[in-house]
Amino acid sequence: MTLNAMVEEATHLREDDMALHVINATKEVFSTMIMMDLEACFPLSESVNTFHCSISGMVGMAGIYTGILAIHCPQSFALKITSNMLGMDVTEVDEDVTDALGEIANMLGGYVKMVLSKGGMDINLSIPTVISGEEYTINAMSDTDCVAVPFSFEEHNFVVSLKLRKE
Amino acid sequence: MANVLIVDDSSTMRKIISRSLRQAGLAVDDIFEAGDGIEGLSVLGEKSVDLILSDINMPNMDGLEFIKQVRANGNNVPIVMITTEGGEDIIKEALESGASSSIKKPFTPDQLNEKLGGLL
Repeated sequence: MTLNAMVEEATHLREDDMALHVINATKEVFSTMIMMDLEACFPLSESVNTFHCSISGMVGMAGIYTGILAIHCPQSFALKITSNMLGMDVTEVDEDVTDALGEIANMLGGYVKMVLSKGGMDINLSIPTVISGEEYTINAMSDTDCVAVPFSFEEHNFVVSLKLRKE
Repeated sequence: MANVLIVDDSSTMRKIISRSLRQAGLAVDDIFEAGDGIEGLSVLGEKSVDLILSDINMPNMDGLEFIKQVRANGNNVPIVMITTEGGEDIIKEALESGASSSIKKPFTPDQLNEKLGGLL
């Protein structure tokens, strides 16, 4: 699992550089909006497509680059994230939780978009999509053109992934 | 005291912005919410608003079109963009369309307070 070679050539960013942008974006969003200071781990060597009792927030990118930025986390952690964002206890996966995960994906997508397009006009972000369930699989583009970074906060773990292609 | 309209398709973000406005101690009276530009225009047709805080990337009517429509209606209320869309060209278009300034998401309550303090 590596960053697409055409993306590396066009952006002059290696996989490690792109992973660092994902780490910086995620840490900034979580420390600023969710009051959580995260620990980042080494990027995964294989893509994760199947999730259990989880929720995934995704935003698509279209333009000079196409791709998907996604955050995948256990539902229990999604409740904690949403509780922190809203400043109130959230105890079940409801509209607030799906909206919160979508907005996080949107903010992460905005950060990556700024890395890829300084002006911002040649890449469009989609409206966020959120999936949750007991067990689900996400298949999108190639599993190889991907950077996936695991994060931890206390006993919770989650993954932020970026699939990217040059058009 | 000012009435504020928050236009954002994320209900979570509307609640965060609303809470931040209250916590920052800004001179805010009523806070109205809209999920996109169309709803925002509808609110403006019914309520007196002194400041608009608007996202850019929204369904149905995005923030750039919303600004243009507000100005086309002859409304000169200050509009601050609060958005992940921090690209130079997008911000330039927003300002040229009539936005007063912009705040990038994610933001801290202090950043919001600093940006809006002069407007409220």
